[in-house]
Amino acid sequence: MGTESANGIEITNLSHAFAGRTVLSNIDMSVPDGSSVALLGPNGAGKTTLMNILCALLTPDSGRVMLGEMDLARQPDAVRRKIGAVFQDPSLDTRLSAWENLDFHGLIYGLSRRERKRRAAEVLELVELDAWRDEIVRTFSGGMKRRLEIARALMHQPSILFLDEPTTGLDPQSRARIWSYLEGLRASDNLTQVITTHYVEEVEDHDYIYIIDQGRLIASGTPHELKSRHGTSMIRCLPRDATTEEELMAAYPEAMPLADGRIGITLGAGDMLDAFLGRFGARLRQIQIDEPSLATVFLALTGREIDQRTPGAPKKAAGVQ
Amino acid sequence: MSRFMHIGRGLYGIWLREVMRAVRDRGQLIGGVSRPLIWLLILGIGLNPYFRGEVYGEVRFVIPYTYLQFLFPAVIVLNIMYTSIQFAVSVIWDREFGFLRAILISPVPRWIILLGKILGGSTVATGHGALVLILARFADITLSWDQVALALLLMFGLSFGLTSFGVILAARVRSFEGFGVFSNTIILPLYFCSSSIFPLDPSLTRAQTVALYPEWLVFLVEINPITYAVDALRGVLINFHQFDPRLGPMVIGGMTVVFFLSALFDFRRR
Ligand SMILES: Nc1ncnc2c1ncn2[C@@H]1O[C@H](COP(=O)(O)OP(=O)(O)OP(=O)(O)O)[C@@H](O)[C@H]1O
Ligand SMILES: [Mg+2]
Repeated sequence: MGTESANGIEITNLSHAFAGRTVLSNIDMSVPDGSSVALLGPNGAGKTTLMNILCALLTPDSGRVMLGEMDLARQPDAVRRKIGAVFQDPSLDTRLSAWENLDFHGLIYGLSRRERKRRAAEVLELVELDAWRDEIVRTFSGGMKRRLEIARALMHQPSILFLDEPTTGLDPQSRARIWSYLEGLRASDNLTQVITTHYVEEVEDHDYIYIIDQGRLIASGTPHELKSRHGTSMIRCLPRDATTEEELMAAYPEAMPLADGRIGITLGAGDMLDAFLGRFGARLRQIQIDEPSLATVFLALTGREIDQRTPGAPKKAAGVQ
Repeated sequence: MSRFMHIGRGLYGIWLREVMRAVRDRGQLIGGVSRPLIWLLILGIGLNPYFRGEVYGEVRFVIPYTYLQFLFPAVIVLNIMYTSIQFAVSVIWDREFGFLRAILISPVPRWIILLGKILGGSTVATGHGALVLILARFADITLSWDQVALALLLMFGLSFGLTSFGVILAARVRSFEGFGVFSNTIILPLYFCSSSIFPLDPSLTRAQTVALYPEWLVFLVEINPITYAVDALRGVLINFHQFDPRLGPMVIGGMTVVFFLSALFDFRRR
């Protein structure tokens, strides 16, 4: 009876296909009790599919998922009491008030009236929505809705929390708030957290990171490990004209074409940067030098940028008003 | 015991949400009140004088009731049909706006989720039927409490069956818009072919009835389950049956079981 793994997750050789198209292949993952793990991957990588499997909403084609000592396939009901989830797409009843949404959630988890009252007040306070408890959710901003969804997922005091892109589409201030709540919960409640995101800058604070691309795990480690293992400095530049581009590609055969006509070049040791600038410096429209980061890790591993928008710019919420 | 309590709370929560939603939905409430008023005030009063028309001194129909009394139970059924089938919108809403997922990851068993939703929808539909009952005095119908209780029981059974039917429809419809068209093309024909607004005279033989009405219409009325629901309510409210009195409760009971089980089958599969 390892108390160590009581609220941990072990995923072994998990695969899933939709209509013959493989979406997840041979995933092995392990999430220690009380830790926070980030799943980083571009659009369509299979993050949400994996989350759905972990929440027992979707039965995988093959593979095994253990939550603590429980096998997800054998004891889905016992597992359900332990987990809470915030989905990628909003799932509140916008015609009910904040309080009513929480009360409903408490009821379906079988909490008594007194427990529902206590917990609803606690979680509303946690996400700083106590002043809005009786307002109809339709009138809430996107950030407030998200915070309420987090509150709702915590109503029944789960020991594992799944969050699928909890901050996508939110302004930086709301994002920072959400991360601070989650960090607080890890410290105070020993809550195991699994979070997906494609904001590279958001995963630095997690204990462990899995990078997933096209349904495969391509790397994993602590942020520090990943950067020291795969991280390189990068030049990202936009050549002034076609001749420069050709010459540049010829000079650096390992250079990678990126979106919008830009080119990425891994910076090697020594005076490579000086040599590059000496030769091409005057013939570039734009240049950017990236320190080793998880963004450059992803770029080095896949030859693609994880998120083809300018860093920090808000992304449109996927298909939801 | 505690598991039983937990499931009971889940069922109550799901039921309560449906009822709360309906009470807050002004549009639905207005429809539920205005529909019977229009049918009874305009159609009922308008046709009342023609109902027991004597054609050349010969009494055609031997129904000892006014048209308003005859129509009254059918308007209850109409209100229940609209509200029950409209309930599919709530099911589509849950699915499209992701709320269903939040319920599906909870420990509530699937069949309890479905039962809670359908019980909620049936409660609302029965409520809309009961709105019509309030107008009984106006249609010249006096009711005892046991008549009201029996009527409510039948109404609830019918609501449960039709709400389940709405859920089955919802599983087959992608969008809200599609559903609006769909529901109107289903409700009104079923209603008109249920002997709701005209009687098949039970005192005539089948041959005579067919002589009076085209055979296809008689056929449609006789195979329509709503016919027997209307007949059952007429039996309770104005003590008039066109068919064997046992048929009504049997058909209503059959609908609740068959439709609920098929709805459950649909829901399990997804
Ligand atoms: N129900 C489904 N039926 C068929 N294909 C699906 C289904 N759900 C997802 N897919 C496909 O599986 C792949 C992975 O989708 P998934 O939603 O898991 O990606 P994701 O990593 O969450 O992406 P995003 O960052 O856009 O949310 C996609 O190519 C998607 O088209
Ligand atoms: Mg996703």
